[in-house]
Amino acid sequence: MNIELSDLTRKFGRNTAVAGVTLEAGPGVFGLLGPNGAGKTSLLRMLATILPPSSGSLRLLDNDPTRPTARREIRRRLGYLPQNLGYYPSFTVVEFVEYFALLKEIPPARVPKAVATAVERTDLGPKAKAKLRTLSGGMLRRVGIAQAIVNDPELLLLDEPTAGLDPEQRVAFRALMRDLGQTATVIVSTHLVEDVGAACSEVALMSEGKVVFRGTPSELTARGESHGVGDAPLERGYSAVLQAARA
Amino acid sequence: MTAVAPLARPARVLRLEIRRSVVPWAIPLIAALFFFDSFRTAVGFAPVWTVRSSVITSNMITDFGPFAAGLAAWVASREGRRHTGDLLATTVRPAWARQAAALGGTLFWLLLTFLIGVAALYIDTARQATWGGPPVWPVVVGVVEVTTFAVIGFAVGALFPGRFAAPLAAIGTFVIAYVGFHAALGVTPMTGTYALLSPATAVPLGDVGVFYHVAPDVAIVQVMFMGGICVALAGLVVVAGRASRWLWVAGAVLLAAGVAASSTAFALAGTAKLSMSGWDIPALHDAASDQPVPYTPDCAGTSFKVCLHPAFSLYLRDVNAALQPVAAQIAGLPGAPVRAEQVASGSGVRSVQGLPVAGTPATGITGTPPVYNISSEDPIAPLWGTGAMLAISGWGAGFAQEFLTAYVAPPNTFMPNPAQQAVVTALMTAAGVGAPQFPQADNSNGTPVGPSQAQIGAAATRFQALSPAARRAWLATHVPALRAGHITLAQLP
Repeated sequence: MNIELSDLTRKFGRNTAVAGVTLEAGPGVFGLLGPNGAGKTSLLRMLATILPPSSGSLRLLDNDPTRPTARREIRRRLGYLPQNLGYYPSFTVVEFVEYFALLKEIPPARVPKAVATAVERTDLGPKAKAKLRTLSGGMLRRVGIAQAIVNDPELLLLDEPTAGLDPEQRVAFRALMRDLGQTATVIVSTHLVEDVGAACSEVALMSEGKVVFRGTPSELTARGESHGVGDAPLERGYSAVLQAARA
Repeated sequence: MTAVAPLARPARVLRLEIRRSVVPWAIPLIAALFFFDSFRTAVGFAPVWTVRSSVITSNMITDFGPFAAGLAAWVASREGRRHTGDLLATTVRPAWARQAAALGGTLFWLLLTFLIGVAALYIDTARQATWGGPPVWPVVVGVVEVTTFAVIGFAVGALFPGRFAAPLAAIGTFVIAYVGFHAALGVTPMTGTYALLSPATAVPLGDVGVFYHVAPDVAIVQVMFMGGICVALAGLVVVAGRASRWLWVAGAVLLAAGVAASSTAFALAGTAKLSMSGWDIPALHDAASDQPVPYTPDCAGTSFKVCLHPAFSLYLRDVNAALQPVAAQIAGLPGAPVRAEQVASGSGVRSVQGLPVAGTPATGITGTPPVYNISSEDPIAPLWGTGAMLAISGWGAGFAQEFLTAYVAPPNTFMPNPAQQAVVTALMTAAGVGAPQFPQADNSNGTPVGPSQAQIGAAATRFQALSPAARRAWLATHVPALRAGHITLAQLP
């Protein structure tokens, strides 16, 4: 298993963002759904080794991230796209991706090929030499994805990866996620249930810091039959599970 | 075909930082400041290496320092401003390595610009200098100072990331380094010598490093002080990064070592003493640097020789032309100088003028046979940078007036008495070098006292009307009384 969480909790003062989450995940695309404030981003930040848990245990890629050497090893094999991508406007696309490739300690000899592959997979080739300040929001999102996959990660954490992408780009990106999920564990936090339906093999739904549903997208759809509200079957499942959890 | 080895990882990150640094955007402004302040100040000095290089650690630091601090703070604060913290936190390289590369990219451009400025200054000096060579210590101190300003700014930006970090760092370093530090501590033996550590050093005398070596003592403590600040701040940034325990310990060690180095330098600066070679720090001082620098003067003239230090050869023709006519008027008379010779002007630091410095040679006419000592500061100083003294209105007459006043009046006389003024006026007129300019004597209320300028002028005309032989005969017998102030206007023939 690439991810093993046991009773994982994160508190900010009196507020509990993540409350005793227990989860395991291997290779594949794993969707993380939930309303705003459900704790998805906090959970993702713990998985990304940015935020230490308040309690509970966490093992990533068979390493304990509380140990510095193990944390370095995890980060070497990790890709992360935060919800709000920070970037340096004066860097070009290639330079930005190269910068992260070097910081992720990809061997220097492999960097040019790794950067070229990441840029190509995110369809940024024509904009490779463009300064980041000149790119649209959707393009920047793709740059963020490129830096996340440049080290060919075994654990890829994507927070709202399709926000700002146009429908065509979203379709292409879902295909990319499915492709990456062949070998890596891809955790996708999103509000867009159609992304989950199209790309994820498994899904977890969070509410108030807890995982209130875990199963396949089909199972989630089934929960909504004749219960939930929404235009799509998956949306009806989503709302039905949330209503049940709140009740 | 051989494969090109890829650059090491830190070198590639540094290359990226250099390529995308913000510093080049500020270079035109820095260059303009350098030209209008540092460069123009330097070319206003005599073309003496040690004198012109003094702007490296004063004007150039004023021009570069705040920019270095502000730009470094801007770079260091970018992770906070651009919200890349989360993204970067998931990478393998530690924060200190990332920040070191960012600082390296900033320093590359700052130091490159600084050294190009130094090169421009030295190339211009090399075209004019007639003696000596480019000094290294000011460049070393300047590089360390620019680095320190950048490190201070970088630490501010790293510890307090935000859009105001850069302007605050630039303004703060300027205020602390130049205004606060200097004004608070002063730089004389009476007010304290700690301010020697400040980049805003005093303007040197015109012949510093010419007659005596410039002791590197102050440069050494400045490097130690600034270097200590750099090391301490680097340690502080590492400690504040809350990395691993080992990194924390390494940061703490750096912090302690830097504080120790700066404290030692501060204590050493407090022991500084003024000497002919500038400021000496006993614990660092090499007595060998107190010895005069050997040189062979450049001389002009035949019966009356005018000799300058070879560093000032550029001015020999004009100085000789100004002195020869008036020297001829008194040649062979009792106490008349047989030659004029340039001497060291004193301590080497302008701001301590007026304070007694052991070994400072007397100005005016001294020795046996009598020699007229020309100070490097006055009357040569006003003409630095022109290269053509006589082209300056009134310069030759002023120099001749000082020369004759030194002969007919006691040493260090600011206001000769009326008879002495009349004799100087007559001799200058006879020599054809123009009329002197003496201020009208007055009392504390500003009311003129003593003979009027018209009365002095009449006496001068009368004395000048004598034949040269009669003037010389009178002077031969009356100069001692004239110098002692015992001759009145009425007693002049």
